[in-house]
Amino acid sequence: MAIARNIVNIAVTAAEKEGAKRVTKVNVVAGELRGLVPAQLIFCFGLMAENTVASGAYLDLEIVPLVVACKQCGEKFRVKDYCYICPKCRSEDIQTLRGTELRVKDIEVE
Amino acid sequence: MKINVMTDILEANDRIAADNTDVFSKHRNLVLNLMSSPGAGKTTLLEKTAEALKGKLRLGVITGDVETSRDAERLQKYKLPVVQLTTGSACHLDANMITYALPHIDLKKVDILIIENVGNLVCPAGFKLGEDYKIMILSVTEGDEKPLKYPQMFRESSLLLINKIDLLKYTNFSLKEAKANVKKVNPKMDIIDISCITGDGISEWISWLNQRYQKKFGTKARA
Repeated sequence: MAIARNIVNIAVTAAEKEGAKRVTKVNVVAGELRGLVPAQLIFCFGLMAENTVASGAYLDLEIVPLVVACKQCGEKFRVKDYCYICPKCRSEDIQTLRGTELRVKDIEVE
Repeated sequence: MKINVMTDILEANDRIAADNTDVFSKHRNLVLNLMSSPGAGKTTLLEKTAEALKGKLRLGVITGDVETSRDAERLQKYKLPVVQLTTGSACHLDANMITYALPHIDLKKVDILIIENVGNLVCPAGFKLGEDYKIMILSVTEGDEKPLKYPQMFRESSLLLINKIDLLKYTNFSLKEAKANVKKVNPKMDIIDISCITGDGISEWISWLNQRYQKKFGTKARA
């Protein structure tokens, strides 16, 4: 719910800055590790957007897979079942590259 | 028309958390964000910690509870600085709530501040409060697969206390399995087995606290 509220705030602020009357779509990028449930977030977003310029806007959620790099051998791999161990050299020294982001990418307005 | 935004959704929270961190550093507080499921033993751990630290490091507590002030009442007999935050319907604490709590606690009289988050293994992981470390309790009655079910929280925490090990014989919880699962999600996580009832592992937990305090502020006690 807090995330939905922040998304609405960010979208409304950006739209008002451009003098837009209505937000039609909000594009959000969310990393897999954030564990967001799309249906739930979309429902909360709809509620929070009521009586704002974002009321009725469509929320698009792009889920970014969790991709990491091994700091020992440089192997890049997608984390499956949350196993942070390098499949090539079994190292546990892992750096996260993508999959933790959570941001409003852009909005569409009229 | 499309408008580029590229704004981090939790940016406002992160900014407030950074301000809190500054306040804590100024007052020489080591700050821990304690997270677990409801009933894992957060408040009982705080009681044991208050007893064990008595006369050594000074403990302060900010506790988040959905409706009641029972946690704060339980801690009152230890004469600690305690602030109770009632979160209403919110399922986690955020940095702003901590900022509001700060004027109600005399940070100059605190060495270790433990922020007891709302019992929940999902939402609290996403919100920084300004802490030095996130730490977790997992009790053996919850099951050894939890690290795989709630990976973000286990991934971001520095220490796991496996609590209620006195009950191991009554459950199908495998310490070996639980630790292997933690290792997959977060190989760097420290793990201590404890029982707040028998007192097992409490001294290891206290020495973990001491080490972290010394790491942040050096061995010299504060004047």
